[in-house]
Amino acid sequence: MTRIAKSMIRMMAFLSKEISEILRQPRLLLTLVLGPFLILFVFGIGYQNKARALRTLFVIQQDSPIKSQIEQYAKTLGPQLIYAGVTSDEAAALDELRQGKVDLVAVAPVNAYETIRNSQQAVFILYNHEIDPTQISYIKYFGQVYIDEVNRRVLLAITEQGQKEATSLQSELASAHQNAVALHDAIQAGDMVSARQYQSQLATNLDNITLAVGASLGVLNSVQQTLGGGSSNAGAILAALSDIRQNTNALNNINSSSYSKTQDLQNATKIENDISNLQSQLKEFTSINPDVIVRPFSSEAKSIAKLQPTALDFFAPAVIALLLQHLAITFAALSIVRERSVGTMELFRVSPLTSSETLFGKYLSYIIFGALLTVALTLLVVDVLHVPMLGSWVNYGLVILALLFTSLGFGFLISLISKTDSQAVQLTMIMLLASVFFSGFMMSLDMIKYPVSIVSWSLPTTYGIIMLRDIVLRGAVPNMNLLGGLALIGVGLCLVSWLMLRRMISTH
Amino acid sequence: MPNEVVYVPDIFGDDVLSEDAIIWTSSLTKRFGHEVAVRDVTFQVPRGQIFGFIGPSGSGKTTTIRILTGYYQQTSGKVLVFNTQPTRFTQEMRERIGYMPQLFVLYPNLSVWENLNFAASIYGMSLARRKRLNELLDFVELKEHKRKLARDISGGMQRRLSLATTLVHSPELIFLDEPTAGVDPVLRNKFWDHFRKLRDAGRTLFITTQYVGEAAYCDLVGVMREGRLLIVDTPEGLRYRAYGGDVVNLQTVNPMDATTELDLSQQHFVKGKIIRAEGNCIRTVVDDASTAIPALLDWCRANSISVHSIDQFYPPFDDVFIQLVKEEENHD
Repeated sequence: MTRIAKSMIRMMAFLSKEISEILRQPRLLLTLVLGPFLILFVFGIGYQNKARALRTLFVIQQDSPIKSQIEQYAKTLGPQLIYAGVTSDEAAALDELRQGKVDLVAVAPVNAYETIRNSQQAVFILYNHEIDPTQISYIKYFGQVYIDEVNRRVLLAITEQGQKEATSLQSELASAHQNAVALHDAIQAGDMVSARQYQSQLATNLDNITLAVGASLGVLNSVQQTLGGGSSNAGAILAALSDIRQNTNALNNINSSSYSKTQDLQNATKIENDISNLQSQLKEFTSINPDVIVRPFSSEAKSIAKLQPTALDFFAPAVIALLLQHLAITFAALSIVRERSVGTMELFRVSPLTSSETLFGKYLSYIIFGALLTVALTLLVVDVLHVPMLGSWVNYGLVILALLFTSLGFGFLISLISKTDSQAVQLTMIMLLASVFFSGFMMSLDMIKYPVSIVSWSLPTTYGIIMLRDIVLRGAVPNMNLLGGLALIGVGLCLVSWLMLRRMISTH
Repeated sequence: MPNEVVYVPDIFGDDVLSEDAIIWTSSLTKRFGHEVAVRDVTFQVPRGQIFGFIGPSGSGKTTTIRILTGYYQQTSGKVLVFNTQPTRFTQEMRERIGYMPQLFVLYPNLSVWENLNFAASIYGMSLARRKRLNELLDFVELKEHKRKLARDISGGMQRRLSLATTLVHSPELIFLDEPTAGVDPVLRNKFWDHFRKLRDAGRTLFITTQYVGEAAYCDLVGVMREGRLLIVDTPEGLRYRAYGGDVVNLQTVNPMDATTELDLSQQHFVKGKIIRAEGNCIRTVVDDASTAIPALLDWCRANSISVHSIDQFYPPFDDVFIQLVKEEENHD
C-alpha cells in the first residue's frame, strides 16, 4: 500500500472515530439541532418589535395654570406613554419610582409662562430609576420626542387660533374694503373731511387685521422662508398689509403743501385692490391645515432591499453563525486536550501517525459533522420557521465551510494551550461571550470603535454573520474580502495548531 | 547514526553490538529535573526473544520503554532500536513497532470493535482487515463483547483489548508495559503462551512486569531497581546468580547430625552454606547440579546415610528477586 493510501486511512480513522463518538450521544445531537431551533422559534413568537411603554407619573404644582393642559397632553401623547396620574408631591412620586410602581416621573416646570417670557426654556425634568444604559438612552430619546410633541401642540394651538381669528376677520375686511371705496370716492369728490374720516376708519381696520393674523402668519412665514419657498402665501399677506398701511399713511399728506389729488386717488385705488387681494390671500391661509403649518415635513422610510425581514429573519443567520462557531470551537477545544487526558496521545507518539494526519483527520471529521448539523438546522429554520433564503446555496455552503474551518482553528489552538478539560471549556465560553458582544450579533459593529474593533474582526462569527445575512436576506454574493479574510485567519490558525501539535507529539 | 557499530560490553561477553540485537542501549540515563528515573542502563535485546524487564513500581521500567519507543529523549547515553535512534524513527519503522502502555488509553465511548478498528487504521492497515480483527478478538476472548463500549467492560477486558490493539498490525518488535496486570491467572498463562508463539514466529517482545514469577517465561530477564539495571541474564542464570550456584534438595530417611552436616559442607562440590528445610531435608548450593547430585549420592553412601530423595530445587523467582536485591544492597 502506498504512503498516501496509508495516510488517508489514518486520517479517515479520526473521521470514523469522532463521528461514532458523537453519534453515541443522541441527547447531544438533539440539543445541538433542536436547541438553537427552539430558541429561534420562541424568539419569533415572543419578540415584539415596538418601543417600550413607560408608566409616567406627572408632578405639577397644584395652582399651576398649565396643569389641565399637561393632563390633557399626557393622556393623548401616544402609546409609549402610559399615563399613571398626576400629583403635586415630588418626593412621593420619586418614592413610587424607586419602588418600581412607575417607570418615569415627569416634573412640570414651575411658572412656565414667566420663564418663557424671560426668554428661557421651561424645562420638564424626567426622573428614571434605570441601570441599563440602553434604557437610559431610550428615556432621553423618549423625553425629547415627547417634548417636541408638546412644543408642536403649542404651536398648533397658536396657529389654529390665528386661523380662527383670520376667518373672523372677513367682516373687518369687508368694512375695510367699504372704507377704502368711500375714501376713494371722497378724494374724487374733493371731500377732504370725509376722506380723513374714512382714512382713520381704514387704519383701525388694518390694526385689527394685523393683530389677528400676525402670530400665525409669522410662524408660517418663518417656515416658508426657512424652506426658501420664494413668494410665499404668508409673505404675500404680510406684504399686502404693509402695502395697505403704507398707502393709507400716505394719505395723511392730504393737508400738506405737496398734496396731489392724482397721487391720492392712485393710492386709494391701490388700497382697494390690496384689500381685495388680502381677502383672497387670507382665505387661502385659513384653508391650510394648521398641523402642516407647524410640522410641514414628515418622513417615510422605504427600503430598496428585496426583503423586509422580521426580527426572526434577521437573527436566524446570526444564530446559525454563532452556533456553528461555538460548536466547532467546543468540539475542537476538547478534542486534543481529551486525547491527552485519556492518554491516547502516548499511543499516537509511538505510532506512525503524524501531527498533520491527526490534525487534518480531526478537521475533516468536525467539518463534515458541522456541515451535516448545518443542513439539519437550516432545513428547520427555512422550512419550519419560514426564514426566506434569497441567495445561492453554493455561496451559503462556502461561507459555512470557511466559518467552520476558521472556528476549528480557534478550537484546536485552545485545545493545544489548555492543560485540562475545564481550562478548554472556560476559554471556549470566553470566545462565546466575546462573540456575543463583539461580532455584531447583539449590536451593530458601527458601535464598536477602534482598536476594540480588532477583536470583532478576529472572530469568525463577525464574518459569518455579515456574509450569511447578505446571502440569506439580500440574495447577495458574499463579500470576497470578508470570505478571504476569514479563510486567511483559518489558514493561519491551522498552521499554528499544526506546529504546536507537532511539537507536542515530538519526543520529550 | 543508524548504521554506526558501537562497542559496548554486552551481556554475552563480547564488546561489539551483536548483529542480531534489535535493541541496544549504553549508559542510558533519563532525568526529570533533579530526579533520575533511569541511571546508566546498558543492555541488548537479541532479535526473536522475549526480554522481561522486572522490577517494582517506580524502578524505571516504563521510562525505559518510553525511551526505546521514542516517546522520551534520553538525558545521556545511547540507544538504538532497529539500529536507529528512536527519536529518528521513520513512519515505516514505527509501523514495525507495537506498544501497549501501562494504562488503558483507548476510547471509552467507542465499542471494543471500533477501538480495535481505530488502532488498525492508525497503523495504516488495509481496509480488508475484518478477519484479522476477529482473530485477535477471539484470542483475547472479547469476540462476544465486541459491540460493548470500552467503558462498559471490566478492567481485565480493557487490558485484553489494549493487547489486541497492540498486536493488530502484526508488529515485529512489541513493547508491552505490564500486559498481565489485572488479568486473571488463566488468561495470563494464555497471554504468555501467545507471547511465546509470537517469539517463535520471529517477533521480539520487550515486556515489563511486576510479577517476578513471570521471569520464568522470558528468554532474558533484566532486573531493575531504583532506576538501575541490576542484572540481565536468562531465568536460570538469575537463579544461579542469586544463590551462587544450583540448589539441590536432599531428603534423608533419618535426621543428619551436626558433624555429618559439617562434613558435607566441606565437600568440594558444595559451594555455599547448607540450609535446613522442613523435615529431614537440607538444601545445598552446588556448582552444577548435574555433577553434584551423583557426587552427593556417593558421599551419602560413604557415610551410610539413607537417602529418601534428591533433586535440583528451582527456587521461586520471588525468592530469587529478593536474594538478588539483598546481594545488591550488600554490594553497595
